Amino acid sequence: MPERALQGLTVIEHNRTGAASYASKLMADLGAEVIKLEPPAGDPDRNLGPFPGGVPHIEKSGTFLYLNCNKQSVTLDITTDSGRQVLDSLLRDADVFIHDIPPAEVGSLSLAYERFCQTNSRLVWTAISPFGESGPHRDWKAYDLTTLSAGGWTWLNGWPGHPEMPPLRPFGRQSAYQAGVNAALATMGALFARLRTGRGQHVEVSAQECITAILEMTFAFWPYMNTPTARWGQRPIHPIDFFQCKDGGWIFVLCVEEHQWQRLVELMDTPEWTQWDVAANRFVRASNWDALRPFMEEWASQWTTDELYRAAQAKRIPFAPASTLGQLLDSEHLKARGFFVEVAYPDAGKITQPGAPFKVSETPWEIRTPAPTIGQHNEDILGERLGLSIAEIRSLNGAKVA
Amino acid sequence: MGGPLEGIRVADFTWVWAGPTCTLQLAHMGAEVIRMESMRRVCTLRMLPPWPDGQPGINRSGYFNQYNQGKRSIQLDISKPEGVEIAKHIVAMSDIAVENFASNVIDRLGLGYDELRKVKPDLVMISMSGYGRGGPESGYVSYGPAQVPLSGMSQLTGYAGWQPMHVGMSYGDPNAGLHAAFAVLSALFYRERTGKGQYIDMSQQESTIAVLGEGFMEYAMNGAQPPRNGNRVAHMAPHGVFMAAGEDRWLSIACADDEEWEALCGVMVRPELARDPRFQKLADRKANEDDLEAEITSWTLMQDPLEASERLQAAGIAASPPLMNRELSEDPHLATRNFFVEREHPEVGIRQHAGIPWRMSDTPCEVRRAAPVLGQDNDYVFGELLRMSGERIADLKARQVIY
Repeated sequence: MPERALQGLTVIEHNRTGAASYASKLMADLGAEVIKLEPPAGDPDRNLGPFPGGVPHIEKSGTFLYLNCNKQSVTLDITTDSGRQVLDSLLRDADVFIHDIPPAEVGSLSLAYERFCQTNSRLVWTAISPFGESGPHRDWKAYDLTTLSAGGWTWLNGWPGHPEMPPLRPFGRQSAYQAGVNAALATMGALFARLRTGRGQHVEVSAQECITAILEMTFAFWPYMNTPTARWGQRPIHPIDFFQCKDGGWIFVLCVEEHQWQRLVELMDTPEWTQWDVAANRFVRASNWDALRPFMEEWASQWTTDELYRAAQAKRIPFAPASTLGQLLDSEHLKARGFFVEVAYPDAGKITQPGAPFKVSETPWEIRTPAPTIGQHNEDILGERLGLSIAEIRSLNGAKVA
Repeated sequence: MGGPLEGIRVADFTWVWAGPTCTLQLAHMGAEVIRMESMRRVCTLRMLPPWPDGQPGINRSGYFNQYNQGKRSIQLDISKPEGVEIAKHIVAMSDIAVENFASNVIDRLGLGYDELRKVKPDLVMISMSGYGRGGPESGYVSYGPAQVPLSGMSQLTGYAGWQPMHVGMSYGDPNAGLHAAFAVLSALFYRERTGKGQYIDMSQQESTIAVLGEGFMEYAMNGAQPPRNGNRVAHMAPHGVFMAAGEDRWLSIACADDEEWEALCGVMVRPELARDPRFQKLADRKANEDDLEAEITSWTLMQDPLEASERLQAAGIAASPPLMNRELSEDPHLATRNFFVEREHPEVGIRQHAGIPWRMSDTPCEVRRAAPVLGQDNDYVFGELLRMSGERIADLKARQVIY
């Protein structure tokens, strides 16, 4: 019986945007064998950083290392005929091909699924693109910022009441993470179907749509109420806000249910608030927030962030601190859960990084190997598995790879 | 064959947004998702706007109706022992159970994994609490909006020199929901091959941290919290959202290399900027980013953002306006792709909802029906599936077990 949930699956991955890498990372961390095809110059994420000391190094890009543990790296120029022949051979025995090559380039490289499924009808072919494979914007160029903008997220992020400040990106390439997790789950759906039908299929993922699908209640405000959304979306219920505490940290103040608000009034020791019309319920508090806010701001400033967090949670009020990364790495809770993992990278050294996004009881999530160095598995995969000679491997990759 | 999960049944104990986002993906794939709801504790989303004409109603919320498309709803009070027993019968007929109460609440209800596996030994179950099981903060209460600051995302997001920010939506929720759906499908795949079910413990805090990897890598490598820096990033310039003509109109532009920057200068009819020593190479543009953004803004201020996007895209430059809900609703691209879903709903009529962001060629996915009104499938589940008599159902209703 396999030890790992996805053990025995072979995934071929080619990454441009981080989305394909994140999708195959989710699968690799549950035991799938992932063979990453990099162009001879390397996955573009190798140039992205962050780098130790800010000095670029192809084996030290934090983004690349985080997204590529548990994978094998093969350098292969899939824009050449000989490179594509090797890709053909790899896909013949693979379960999944996952990539985020733009649709126009897929066409010009003759990378159509229809051709590959002739030789391997069991192949699940997952193609991620910014705008999908049809429609007038199919070939629009996109990077994370513009994908998040086209999907509707950027518009929601910013500071209300500051028309001079632009809509804002959230931290990190969130369109890549979202396209990646959607691609991974759709791929698993297709693999599950294959258990019954015996057939693979083509799966298409649009990053724009992945964002538009998660805009909380803000999208629905148009079809339901003809109401345009604004920065920081819709916040129909209050309190929901940040306050600075006396230690300089920030507390996030939130009550969703009325019983939480009642306990907050107890904590604030302001029984008179229960009589105030302006605080009568969560919707009324939202419309009167300008009046109520200064009182709570003053109250919060008398606490340290941690004291207020603990005191609120002791009364089951869902406050949270605005954690710094250092605070999270030191968190007793996350330590007790064993969340962060230490990975030893050959060039970048030991790094403590986020671990399992979920814990599975019978089949472990685990880091088995650090991210591969560029072309680290050329001989294993191209040589031993496909039977190419060293000379053939070299000629495939030009002079760049030994 | 319909969706890939045709024939799979989900016992759905979820509420608010995170859990329903998980089961929405399963419904999209054709699973039969049975939401167990109750008047005793109405789902928070049913009580939140938007509502047609601004008139509240537990079946009228666009927020609820967006994230519960294609599911079934029954009324069952699981705080009563009889309700718990009936819930177990539903689990016994299901493949998957999903819940997102605060940690251990499901155990206190008598519906924890150890109980449920007795009635369904190969059950795949996921708990999606805010903080996960075990650890000193395990019992803490949490909602998606609080996961943004709790996970570190707020300290990383914001204008340079400003306070930590929210990200404009309760990102912890859908992100957890999508990771949960992936985890469930992986466990289901394993069950299909081995006959073994399993239990998945998800902490929404941890699944949110998982998508902030580059921040933690930077902290580990350089020992410092990455500063908030607006829309700027280290590896591209320009990379920003620029003010356009009109009130609160903006245009996002990103150039990854010198060639794209030169093309941008061409569209702006400012070819000399590409040769300006302040802007020639990425390092130059990063060093003079204030000047760079001022030059671009002097152009964007005169542009309609949609029209300018078309021209920039024609020149091979990544650009898009930050679209608001109305613009998404009317977006010709999304319309051509049939992304939006409109299904008849007994109380809100036909409304537009966001659909499925992926397409499968062999087992097509679809939204089969609008989100359920509360208790819509009582007869189907209690009568047809559980084979209860009309008398029994009436009795359970009278005693508010079916409530």
